[in-house]
Amino acid sequence: MLLSLQHKTTFVYKGEAKDSVNDLRLCPASDTLQQCRSFKLTITPTASPLEYLDFNGNIVHSFSIIEPHPSLTIQAESEVETVPNSERKPIYVASFDELKNSPEAYQFAEFLTPSSYITFDDVLKSEAEKLIRNDRRDVWSEAKRVGAHIFKTFKYSPGSTGVKTSALESLRIRSGVCQDFAHVMIGLCRLHEIPARYVSGYFFNTLRREGEIEASHAWVEVYIPNHGWTGFDPTHDREADERYIKVATGKDYADIIPVSGTYRGGITKKLTVDVNVREISRTSIPA
Amino acid sequence: MPILNPSYSTDNFYDEMMASGGQIRPHYGRLHERLGTLSEDDFNKRRAAVDLAFLRRGVTFTVYNDSEGTERIFPFDLIPRIIPAKEWAQLEAGLIQRITALNLFLHDIYHEQKILKDKVLPAAQILTAKHFRREFMNFSVPKNIYIHICGTDLIRNHAGNYLVLEDNLRCPSGVSYMLENRAAMRRAFPNVFQNYGVQPVEGYADQLLKDLRYIAPKAGSKPNVVLLTPGVYNSAYFEHTFLARQMGIPIVEGRDLIVKSSKVYMRTTAGLVQVDVIYRRIDDDFLDPYVFRSDSVLGVPGLVSAYRAGNVSLANAIGTGVADDKVIYAFVPKMIKYYLDQEPIISNVPTYLASDPKDRKFILDNMEKLVVKSANEAGGYGMLIGPAASKSEVADFKAKVAENPRNFIAQDPIMLSRSPTWCDGKLEGRHIDLRPYILYGEKITVTPGGLTRVALRKGSLVVNSSQGGGSKDTWVLRGES
Amino acid sequence: MPQNEKQPVSRPQANVMLSRVAHSLYWMSRYIERAENTARLLEVNQQFLLDFEGFDDTALKEHWGSILASADEDKLFKTIHDVADSVNVTDFMSLDPRNPNSILSCIFSARENARMIRDQISIEMWETINELYLFLKGKDRKEIWSRGPYEFFEDIKRHSHLFQGLTESTFSRTEGWEFIQFGKFIERADKTTRILDVKYHILLPDASDVGGALDTAQWQSVLRSASALEAYHRFYVHEILPWKAAEFLIFSETFPRSLYYCVTRVDELLCRILAETGPRRRTSAARSSKRLLSDLQSLAIDDVLKKGLHEFLIDIQKSLDHISNDVVETTMFYKAETSIEEQQMQQQQQ
Repeated sequence: MLLSLQHKTTFVYKGEAKDSVNDLRLCPASDTLQQCRSFKLTITPTASPLEYLDFNGNIVHSFSIIEPHPSLTIQAESEVETVPNSERKPIYVASFDELKNSPEAYQFAEFLTPSSYITFDDVLKSEAEKLIRNDRRDVWSEAKRVGAHIFKTFKYSPGSTGVKTSALESLRIRSGVCQDFAHVMIGLCRLHEIPARYVSGYFFNTLRREGEIEASHAWVEVYIPNHGWTGFDPTHDREADERYIKVATGKDYADIIPVSGTYRGGITKKLTVDVNVREISRTSIPA
Repeated sequence: MPILNPSYSTDNFYDEMMASGGQIRPHYGRLHERLGTLSEDDFNKRRAAVDLAFLRRGVTFTVYNDSEGTERIFPFDLIPRIIPAKEWAQLEAGLIQRITALNLFLHDIYHEQKILKDKVLPAAQILTAKHFRREFMNFSVPKNIYIHICGTDLIRNHAGNYLVLEDNLRCPSGVSYMLENRAAMRRAFPNVFQNYGVQPVEGYADQLLKDLRYIAPKAGSKPNVVLLTPGVYNSAYFEHTFLARQMGIPIVEGRDLIVKSSKVYMRTTAGLVQVDVIYRRIDDDFLDPYVFRSDSVLGVPGLVSAYRAGNVSLANAIGTGVADDKVIYAFVPKMIKYYLDQEPIISNVPTYLASDPKDRKFILDNMEKLVVKSANEAGGYGMLIGPAASKSEVADFKAKVAENPRNFIAQDPIMLSRSPTWCDGKLEGRHIDLRPYILYGEKITVTPGGLTRVALRKGSLVVNSSQGGGSKDTWVLRGES
Repeated sequence: MPQNEKQPVSRPQANVMLSRVAHSLYWMSRYIERAENTARLLEVNQQFLLDFEGFDDTALKEHWGSILASADEDKLFKTIHDVADSVNVTDFMSLDPRNPNSILSCIFSARENARMIRDQISIEMWETINELYLFLKGKDRKEIWSRGPYEFFEDIKRHSHLFQGLTESTFSRTEGWEFIQFGKFIERADKTTRILDVKYHILLPDASDVGGALDTAQWQSVLRSASALEAYHRFYVHEILPWKAAEFLIFSETFPRSLYYCVTRVDELLCRILAETGPRRRTSAARSSKRLLSDLQSLAIDDVLKKGLHEFLIDIQKSLDHISNDVVETTMFYKAETSIEEQQMQQQQQ
């Protein structure tokens, strides 16, 4: 699928901001399932970002604006081609033993341990315990089961949580948005010894109605030996397919914050985020 | 009355001055002779003069139990600890070997992680270590040096063998005391000092400055090197100002620096002056409130972005704390083998890791005979000295270890060596350790001697300054006696 | 065979002055000067009242009120005390921590600044100010007053002199020295204007009293407040004529507390600090300073009296303020940096 993305973030400050230093994780990744064809960043006031790869392999653009400015706008535009569903490899059925003995096991130690948004407290532990089955078969089915459980028992409710809500808090009220669903699923997977990581990106909603919210999306990837990191979306109870565009991965939200930074000056009066995901029909691409 | 008393006993510990049969070791010969000619009065006069000098010069550390802070002189004992040349040469080689391996280790785990891929070290331990700075993966540090300044603590067991107790790779302190102690000793015992031929330590500041300049981002004209201190509230503030003055570099606090366009500048009365190298005495966690997301006011926002852009160099590099961990310490011999294909010249204290199932069983079964320490993870569970602990304390600790094995290591208790020390009017043996200072620049330099810390309380093994410790000058001889 | 130890190379001190350090040196110096001047002012006026017992309540009130007014502290005083009498005013200006310019507050602030730059000052300087601080901190007001106010003021003055003397003999003549001196002379100039201004606020009961015993005694105490009485006598022989006392304190070229003397030093130091080398001044502070100095060089006491002594002094205070603020802005732009805000994070909501 060929998709075009626009992600615009605007900060309006009370008074002015200065000495602003920021990191952006907005550039879509390129891997076996997708290729980022183009990426353009426009920052107002003007700044030239420095590009680097962070420890999770995510593309980061960092920039600073020293002079006082009343607002900051970051516009990211990209084109991504995702591998069609028909061309995707079937997911390998791996046993848990294979997982434990896999040669890459050293790489995902940190995806089995707690992280800042996802602590292994009693509430999460007992939820995991409720779910565990003695006859668990393969890694992927288990992961899907965990994801489905959240989809069934949680309420998708924008406004019930905030950007700093932890997995524990979301689990307590059994509600949240995709960010929270992803956190809880990751926590439960980790407690089930399935290495799980957070994915930030976009989802092309073919059924989108006029005026419906478009925002950046979050889902989960679990590690399957002989296959790799595989995505599952607990908010929609399905595998991450050609409609999903991955931007960044990490232990949890703290590792992938799309726009993060600090500055000196007045508080933020207003934050506006505009996301736009469209399919580019193939016939309209010049030969 | 002479200060040497016939009742001086080694009590079956390894004594630096006296061998088990009562003979004086050759390298202490001259000192022993000199002490024999001193009366108690004489000796006390010298002590008083030295103490007064320390007070006047402000050689203090600050104990903060109220917002005021009391200045204390780090107690100094006039009897030096003496090490003959060949013995030192061995230590020097061992320390150089160790820091070389540690530096290669740091480079490796922040790049290809070969040592993890080859399963020589457990990946889980390293990657989840508190001080592993994942933000700095694949980051190239100037001249590939991570550890510019290292203080490795050495102890000596009852057989007289040196062992490494721990490596301090973040902001090791005590150098100023080493330098001040030497100055004091030269004043107190000028003749003995001259006659012995003691290797000098005064070159430390010069060497450090040279090494700091070596890692400047751009080659060429004199780079601007500064010392970054947390400020007056830090207990080692005296040392910071001391070193800055010795090197002739500005001492700055976080608020004196500003980062503009990824370059670091000092705010001076003549405007902004760019900074090239920062010798930072602030822990990673507090360096840059932006990156490490702390509420720290000590750091410089944007410092890490300047570091990352290669516009400023930091000594020590960010991320060395991962090798400071007590669990990682246990693997250093393996690192020496893996990176250098050598056996360690100086051994570790035999250490057991609670995270390893075999070791864990051993620890739990033998806790009353072991020294159990927290591995420096979040929490700080303290330390248990098995042989000195009560049954309930041991039981408590067993529970802690069982619950959180990754956080604990255990070691065989070592009978630390002793050195003659002036205690309440007579010479008695007191336990000591040694902290030599290693500088890594174009080449690795080990300052001859270092800080010998002494546990002043009788029978105590604690050499820490805030808990009744003191220090001695360390004399490394040019010859054997 | 004794072996020669290689002497460590002595390094020239790093020749950069951090703004923050300059700021602390400047304020440390200003606060100590301020404390000393206040101590002297209060001491002299206490003495003055003892000498002149025949004061009724109104006159007393006026007298102490004038001290407060000239120091610009009357408004704050009124929020704390109802009556401006000897005890209240003295306490307010000496030991009240609510008054940021009380002697106590000044010493605390001076010490705090000194502590921030401990490594820049000699240990003797530090010990002197720390001792004074510990003394004030350790005693409550009753204890201090029980010894008698005279003792207290003498202590303050003594410590200040000692501090200045130690600074003179132990502080290297580097850029730091300039900031210390600049702070001292700016403060001293300002305080001299206020000492002179005390007289403005005191109304004589009757116009015919000008030149009378009371008037003369008041001028005498003004001179004493500036430690200028003996110097004045040496210069002007015996009588204390009001306008001569003012002239002395404003225009004397040799007396170290005169406005002329202080402003000359201020101008000199300022040019070094701001690197003003040419005949035409570049910076605003240096231009103001030159104007002020040339006024003091070209005016005579008649001009001042014609304009009005009070107005003249207020103008000088304003100029001094402008000069010092400008220097602070330029070299010590140590505005407390605003705290860091985090960019608001966007929740992933779809």
